[in-house]
Amino acid sequence: MSWETVIGLEIHVQLSTKSKLFSGGSTEFGAESNTHVDLIDMGLPGVLPVANKEAFYKAIRFGLATGANINQTSSFDRKNYFYPDLPKGYQITQMTQPIVEKGSIKIAVDDYEKEINITRAHLEEDAGKSIHDMFEGETGVDLNRAGTPLLEIVSEPEISSAKEAVAYFKAIRQLVTFLDICDGNMAQGSMRCDVNVSIKKSDDKELGTRAELKNINSFKFIEKAINFEIDRQIRLIENGECVVQETRLYDSEKNETRSMRSKEEANDYRYFPCPDLLPVIISDKELKEIKENLPELPEEKEIRYINEIGLDESEAKIISSSKTMANMFEAASSKTDDAKLVAKWLVGDISALLNKDNIDIDESNLSAENFGILIERISDGTISGKIAKSVLEEVWETASDVDEIIQSKGLVQIQDESILEDIAKKVIESNPNQVSAYKAGKDKLFGFFVGQIMKETQGKANPKAVNEILKDLLQ
Amino acid sequence: MDKKTVTTISYLSRLKIDNDKEEKIINDLGNIIEFVDQLNEVDTTEITPLTNPLEKTAKTRKDIVTAKNLKKELLEVAPSANEDYFLVPRVVE
Repeated sequence: MSWETVIGLEIHVQLSTKSKLFSGGSTEFGAESNTHVDLIDMGLPGVLPVANKEAFYKAIRFGLATGANINQTSSFDRKNYFYPDLPKGYQITQMTQPIVEKGSIKIAVDDYEKEINITRAHLEEDAGKSIHDMFEGETGVDLNRAGTPLLEIVSEPEISSAKEAVAYFKAIRQLVTFLDICDGNMAQGSMRCDVNVSIKKSDDKELGTRAELKNINSFKFIEKAINFEIDRQIRLIENGECVVQETRLYDSEKNETRSMRSKEEANDYRYFPCPDLLPVIISDKELKEIKENLPELPEEKEIRYINEIGLDESEAKIISSSKTMANMFEAASSKTDDAKLVAKWLVGDISALLNKDNIDIDESNLSAENFGILIERISDGTISGKIAKSVLEEVWETASDVDEIIQSKGLVQIQDESILEDIAKKVIESNPNQVSAYKAGKDKLFGFFVGQIMKETQGKANPKAVNEILKDLLQ
Repeated sequence: MDKKTVTTISYLSRLKIDNDKEEKIINDLGNIIEFVDQLNEVDTTEITPLTNPLEKTAKTRKDIVTAKNLKKELLEVAPSANEDYFLVPRVVE
């Protein structure tokens, strides 16, 4: 009898608002500790939280893009627990009336596609940060993050493998970045996820007991943590033991999950409606406006690239897969008539460099602006494609300015035909044997002359001009 | 209401109950629950739960940063802090 895996994901997406969910505190990342803390974030007596409408608008964009129901009346509840980085002793969240319910998203795994249903997406505030390892016997608390708006996206337990879980997470990340509601920065914790894993026999109707894996923030660790957990649960059951419903922490260094039982003991959050906050109403007019201003999504981009710009399907897919890549494509295309050339660079040389370094385009040194200039210099003939390649490589390493590299290294293409003709004559004069062999019918030697001229000019000669000049001279 | 429930609630709310008052508190809480339970006699199946007794909807904020840097003042009023962080007894093993 084989085992079936059942996975559900809860993804916390940090919404890219300027201010917090209930206060005018800044959400800026990386600020000096405790400098972005408002009295409301502190939970001081007598303060009153007021909801940030922009957080609702961003949540609604997600709802619309996943074909979900938008609850135009939504309300807040308190989730009660004690932890030092939660100053009020409760988290304000949406338990009974979440802003978004019942959506779905398509994922692609290897050779198949699958639709994953989204149970709900609700707004809630983030907690602060605890720093455990800096002080002897004490924990430091930084409340800058306290109150930052999160959208918690809860999937149905319809994911059946670690690979599907990663594909789902990637699909959500792609969507929220295209919607411009989250920067998708995993390293800065803008997206974090909790994974519920259980196993069951293929013909069992009931789900098995699940374990919850907490706070995983990279694609690689999602896959590893789930695979470890599946193996652990199968081993337990095959040895006649039981899976305990509990929260487990993934340790990426040891590649294992560990029980966090101490936290589980008193897992009773005593939710109740937050008396400080009235229900928030979204009007039909607001909803209509958000709908009309929804940004173009990856699938729509892909279709437009194929139908209107004439890209190949595979090119269109790669370019529309990431927002940064799509932005680069669109910005650079505006600087040339040859959008297919832009696509060729993105899918060819740039993708190859990305694969080599195993990074995302957002993590590379190449900015959209610099890439645009590179394309501009190729199409206006300043540099040849071959030179452009070496310029790109240099930008990749050093993030220097394209024009600066071209200037400082003297890479400007030689177009001047009289200069090229002089060089060609010199090459012909110094290689009499090859000239007579060529004239006797050894056509392949043409490439030899081109190569010699390129060598003389350090690759800067315009290849088209060289071909024409050589043809003339060797007749 | 039994001893186990009261122990759990007191742990969750971080309120310590003195041993000699425990029995009285169990008894009092039992009475309170019994009193409030009368509400269950009303049939509410057709009624939408009330989230707030004020029959109004929320005013909301525009997404603007208005807070000042209160680091010094806030850390000063904390029971324990250094120049950068609030300090609490170590919470992990």
